[in-house]
Amino acid sequence: MLLFRSEETVDSWCRENGVPRRPLIDLDQLWYMAVTWYGNRLTVESRRPGPDEMVQIFAAIGLEGPFWDPQADQWRSST
Amino acid sequence: MDFDTSVKLKIYETIAETAQAPAAPEVAQALGAPLSDVLAAFNRLHQKRLLVPEPGDPARIRMASPFSGVETPFRVLALGKSYYANCAWDAFGVPAALHADAVIEASDGFSGEPIRLEVKDGAPLPQECISHFAVPAARWWEDILYT
Repeated sequence: MLLFRSEETVDSWCRENGVPRRPLIDLDQLWYMAVTWYGNRLTVESRRPGPDEMVQIFAAIGLEGPFWDPQADQWRSST
Repeated sequence: MDFDTSVKLKIYETIAETAQAPAAPEVAQALGAPLSDVLAAFNRLHQKRLLVPEPGDPARIRMASPFSGVETPFRVLALGKSYYANCAWDAFGVPAALHADAVIEASDGFSGEPIRLEVKDGAPLPQECISHFAVPAARWWEDILYT
């Protein structure tokens, strides 16, 4: 998960690495993901979110579909 | 508190305080526990995807997300210390975990142009910057060091 200054440099990186362009995440979305994932990481009760929780976290910021589903079969044997 | 949780907390407390990931002997000494028990806990925490050992050396930590055990292109300045994060997401994860303001020194993944982000009072300051997720969630752990 890299940072880019613009969509143009994302596209250049994808071409250079021979990979398709995938979702772009803005800083507010990235911060939401960081807080929900890591906000309690230094506490006793911290744990990694389960698959269904992950889907809910991503959906809350508009990231939906198989790409964001850790149990999506279509990504396990392709790409 | 179970032993694995004690080990996990000691790892994170040490990183938060020193900005350095402890090796298993350091954790064993701090907890007064046998090294073999701590190494077994490291392995179980790895299975739970809460840490990634250094390849070829199960006593050392490469990743205790959001923190990195080695220097990376994602440097995070917070609480007067210099931490390293594993990726763009984890770069924000460091101030989220520490509940602290932070400055993130990174760079454009293609051009190398420096990118400086700031988290202040619990939110990122606006900046011309985006993150690209190249790997789908179902494949993140196939090669987590790349992801």
